[in-house]
Amino acid sequence: MTKYATVLGISDEGAPVDRKSGFFTAIRKDKKASFGLIMLSVFVFFALFASWVSPHDPTAMDFDMMLPPSWEFPLGTDDLGRDLLSRIIHGTQISLFVGVTTVVIALVLGLIMGVAAGYFGGWIDMVIMRYIDLLWAFPNFIIAVYLVAVFGAGLLNVIVAISLAFLDDFARIARSMVLIIKEEQYISAARVSGASDFRIMWRHILPNAAAPIIVQATVCVSYAILGEATLSFLGLGVESETPTWGLILADGRSFISRAWWLGIFPGVAIMLTVLSINFLGDGLRDYLDVREVKDV
Amino acid sequence: MYQYLIRRTFGALVVMFAVATLVFIMLRLVPGDPIAAMLYDVGDPAAIEEIRRNLGLDRPIYVQYGIWLGNALQGDFGNSIYGSRVEVSRLLLEALPRTLSIASISFVVAIVIAIPAGLIAATRRNTGADYAVTLIAFIGLSMPDFWLAILLIIVFAANLHWLPAIGYVPLSEGFWPWFSHLILPSIAVGTAFSAIVARMIRSSMLEVLNMDYMRVARSKGLSEMTLVWSHAFPNALIPVVTVIGIAFALLMSGAVVVENVFAIKGLGRLLIQGILNRDYPVVQGAILVVSAIFVFSNLLVDVLYSFIDPRIRYGS
Amino acid sequence: MTNKTLDELSLAQRAELEKELGEAYDFDPKDPMFGLSKDELSGPDMSRRAVLRLMAAGGTLTAMNMLPLAAGFGDVQAASGGVLTCGWSGVGQIVTLDPARIDQVVQFQITSNVLSGLMHINPDLVGEGDLTESWEVNGDGTEYLFTLRKGVTFHNGDKFDADDVLFTYNRSKDSTKSIHSRVLNNVNSVEKVNDLQVRFKLAKPQASFLTKTLERSSGRAMTIVSRNALEKMGTAQFGLTPVGTGPFKIVEHQLGQGVVMEKFENYYDPSRPKLDKVIIKPISDPEPLAAAMESGDIQLIGGNPLAPELIDRFTANPDMVVNEVTGPGFQSIWINPWHEHMKVADFNKPVSELMKEKGFMVRLAFAKAMDRERYLKLAQFGHGTPAFGTINPAMGFYYDKGLEKTSTQTFDVKEAQRLMAEAGYPGGKGFPELRLATTPSGRRESTVVADILRKNLGVKIQVEAKEWSVNVEEFDSMRWDLRRSGSGGDFDPDDAIVDWMQTESKFNGRKRDKSKMPFGYFSDREADDLISQQSTEADPVKRKALVQKANKITSDKVASIFLFHPADILVYHKRVNFPKQSRIPGLVDLDRVTMS
Repeated sequence: MTKYATVLGISDEGAPVDRKSGFFTAIRKDKKASFGLIMLSVFVFFALFASWVSPHDPTAMDFDMMLPPSWEFPLGTDDLGRDLLSRIIHGTQISLFVGVTTVVIALVLGLIMGVAAGYFGGWIDMVIMRYIDLLWAFPNFIIAVYLVAVFGAGLLNVIVAISLAFLDDFARIARSMVLIIKEEQYISAARVSGASDFRIMWRHILPNAAAPIIVQATVCVSYAILGEATLSFLGLGVESETPTWGLILADGRSFISRAWWLGIFPGVAIMLTVLSINFLGDGLRDYLDVREVKDV
Repeated sequence: MYQYLIRRTFGALVVMFAVATLVFIMLRLVPGDPIAAMLYDVGDPAAIEEIRRNLGLDRPIYVQYGIWLGNALQGDFGNSIYGSRVEVSRLLLEALPRTLSIASISFVVAIVIAIPAGLIAATRRNTGADYAVTLIAFIGLSMPDFWLAILLIIVFAANLHWLPAIGYVPLSEGFWPWFSHLILPSIAVGTAFSAIVARMIRSSMLEVLNMDYMRVARSKGLSEMTLVWSHAFPNALIPVVTVIGIAFALLMSGAVVVENVFAIKGLGRLLIQGILNRDYPVVQGAILVVSAIFVFSNLLVDVLYSFIDPRIRYGS
Repeated sequence: MTNKTLDELSLAQRAELEKELGEAYDFDPKDPMFGLSKDELSGPDMSRRAVLRLMAAGGTLTAMNMLPLAAGFGDVQAASGGVLTCGWSGVGQIVTLDPARIDQVVQFQITSNVLSGLMHINPDLVGEGDLTESWEVNGDGTEYLFTLRKGVTFHNGDKFDADDVLFTYNRSKDSTKSIHSRVLNNVNSVEKVNDLQVRFKLAKPQASFLTKTLERSSGRAMTIVSRNALEKMGTAQFGLTPVGTGPFKIVEHQLGQGVVMEKFENYYDPSRPKLDKVIIKPISDPEPLAAAMESGDIQLIGGNPLAPELIDRFTANPDMVVNEVTGPGFQSIWINPWHEHMKVADFNKPVSELMKEKGFMVRLAFAKAMDRERYLKLAQFGHGTPAFGTINPAMGFYYDKGLEKTSTQTFDVKEAQRLMAEAGYPGGKGFPELRLATTPSGRRESTVVADILRKNLGVKIQVEAKEWSVNVEEFDSMRWDLRRSGSGGDFDPDDAIVDWMQTESKFNGRKRDKSKMPFGYFSDREADDLISQQSTEADPVKRKALVQKANKITSDKVASIFLFHPADILVYHKRVNFPKQSRIPGLVDLDRVTMS
């Protein structure tokens, strides 16, 4: 997890730089990022249309146990006679859902906290920063493990646990950004002209801070997906009919010596998803020309 | 500078105890009665109550906290609720070397791979070597560590029989037994970290290599070798120092999962088992130790940084 | 490779078995000496016939006990020596080994190697003294005079004498110190006659006194502990490294790391044990356990029942021996009778009456829809036998083989669907989603259960795996819809029906809100009475009738959906010679084991 603040290259006029038009061309040129985009689209497609795309019902134990990959079952069947391909396709739903929602929650909350701390300063800053430091005392993942183990498994708890664990990254970035940008000319100019605090934050600070936050968000999505898989693997994850990749791996662990496909394909699915998000994120970072500066 | 350090140290201690308190409260408020579970087969409510009384679990929560805190400051973390009531400090002392062994070997393995890799990628930018390193780094970052652990076991232990599949052997029983049991877990844990460091070094080096003072040095006629090693490299290392701080976070999280897969009784395993068994004293102690290590290693990084960064060094 | 022991008997051997069994039960139940003479009941050893008689009278005789030694595995006796490393399955730490506190199979298996009892029933079913040289019974079977073995020492060098027997007795009788005090309820007193003689005075004649209460492996209450060691070490340390007189002594035990035992040089029988050292490692997860066994890190698996997915894996491995026998236990799906849609407020009616109630119809529908064969195939890989009651096949004499056909729970999908429809939920429509509570290790098999019920009845069941301590609390408070659990180590009917099927049973919703729920998961007055009666019934034939009647009631009235009786599996490397005499289901006695 990279906990360092990033700074957007700010143009001379002081206004936010518009680069929307060049985005897709830039991505197309970057081989890794295009691969990532395509791969991710495939997974998103699977997630959205899982029931149509899957050859079989992922929970149906109708087939012979532990069949190797074949035409009928391209990825084989598992120890309870369920089609692995269908399970993996359905697995995209939870993985992506968890990945996205945790980041959105962490981002929104973190932004609010970070911007408030940076902008208002004073005791608000201190209180918020102490809280962030508290979260810092723990590796993200251990926080998530602890919360889920204590409050139980289940989709909601997993999402809350992972969001809380990643909250501090966004807060720190937001706060650093605000502190840097606060010094910039056009803020003072805006204040002189009578704009309210909130307006200043909304129209001036946030757009400039957007870029590093977007990049950080992609990093967090990939970690959230890995985190959910790990929690599921440890038995602390989502409990539902829909299989998740971590759960498929955990279930299949005992049978890997006889059924190698149970140990390979779910892991490959996780890896490809995270890889494509990482590629995309990297491409985004290059595009937005985000450079690294140590924490302010 | 000293003022800064003192402030940071104090802050660290405050953070640690806040964490412990939070954990204490949350654990008690959560469902699951450890004593009843332990004596399930006995089924005698009187016996259960008596054991609960013996362990002081019937006192109000703030009293329990006070007692625990007082003891903790003297190094006594109480006894495990589960079973033979062994001292928690003993459990921690047994678990700590295991996790530290994994973390340190992972760290070494990661750095040993990452630095050359990052250097190669930076100095041969946009060539095949660069692409290869970058791609491998990405893949390493994207693999779930438990999956990598399972794959390693399948290949190296179950099939090739080169290395043992599970367990831990203390250093006192010989270097190779100790080390051989730690190789696979360390690779599983260290890979992601290695990838991050390699990429950091690469980008850091690239930045430094492009800077003005490098051009000046080049124009003076210094060889590329000298440039890389005595000028670029040390400067490129500076941001990497920050990474060491988060190294611990990564390695600890990784250790938790890997201890599960390799059945090693380290801190991570102790923590999870303690939580699952509602073994309060064990969880308290484990979390205190974990956060202590984390907080103080961060402190160490800050100290190192304060020597490098002139702003802090001379006070701001 | 696998060897199923009972199947190996030849016809002649089977006939011999039947004959002995018949003889064993041939006595007048009112006879305090169980049809045996004073000489036959007294030491220095008791004949096989006498032991069989006592076991029959005590209700602990099963065909399993009587297997001849000839049909063999592990007959090869290799030289002594060697180190055996064992993996203890499904357990993270062996919490305590103090006999006064142990209550899990994983612990018994270790202590029976470290501690001795006064008696030992050897593999030929000849009763021998373990720590006694001989004994005498008085005319009405209420007094036993034991002459203790000379020259026995504890692991720490102390000499064993009558004071240790007294100390152990007093400690075990104290319910605040020992959880097994109930076992000694029939003993009025123990007196020291001299340094090497003690006299036990019983309240009533007790058939199982010599064969169970004082026996080395099964009698927890009278396994002799060293009073010196207890005083010196304190209870906590003693629980980790108990000091006894057994063939092995514990040299190291780190919680969570396992136990190391070494040959006790001064064991009173110089020919035992054969091994030099035994290392026991707890390995809770199945995958590391399998990896350890396959790589040769461990050579034998003991502890909790093996995860079923590993059984086939080991069977397919030519280097390993998998020994499977019927296990003593049962597993069920419990149905909460207070759930609105499955409500049965009063079981005290004949089944025909109950059948008119919607709640009972649903209950019975579930039981009839439970395809046990499919469950066994998917969830247990074919290991185990379908269950229709708590009385398991390992209880031999008491087991009702025919219950499978006569119970109301017999598998019948059409009938089950008809019942659901009649209760108002045709095809499962309108029936709420239920939660099936289980532990994380039971999640896989519970998924199979949920799937079977979904397919056959159309009801939706969500599997909820919660940690053991949470699970237990919810079960006791009756906060669940369905629950998957059962019992193991049941060698005597008392272990099963008393603990589970009575209104006052210790697992029957102890912590429930009594104002809302007059009983826990099941309550039937007739069953209660029958169960209490059988507990004190000395005549085994009468007892069998009582037990089977009670068992049928619990089955017909669906006290729970009885699922299966697990198999007892022992796995070891073919290098290990595990003599059949040591093969007691549930135990791992290592004193005669050798390695080649």
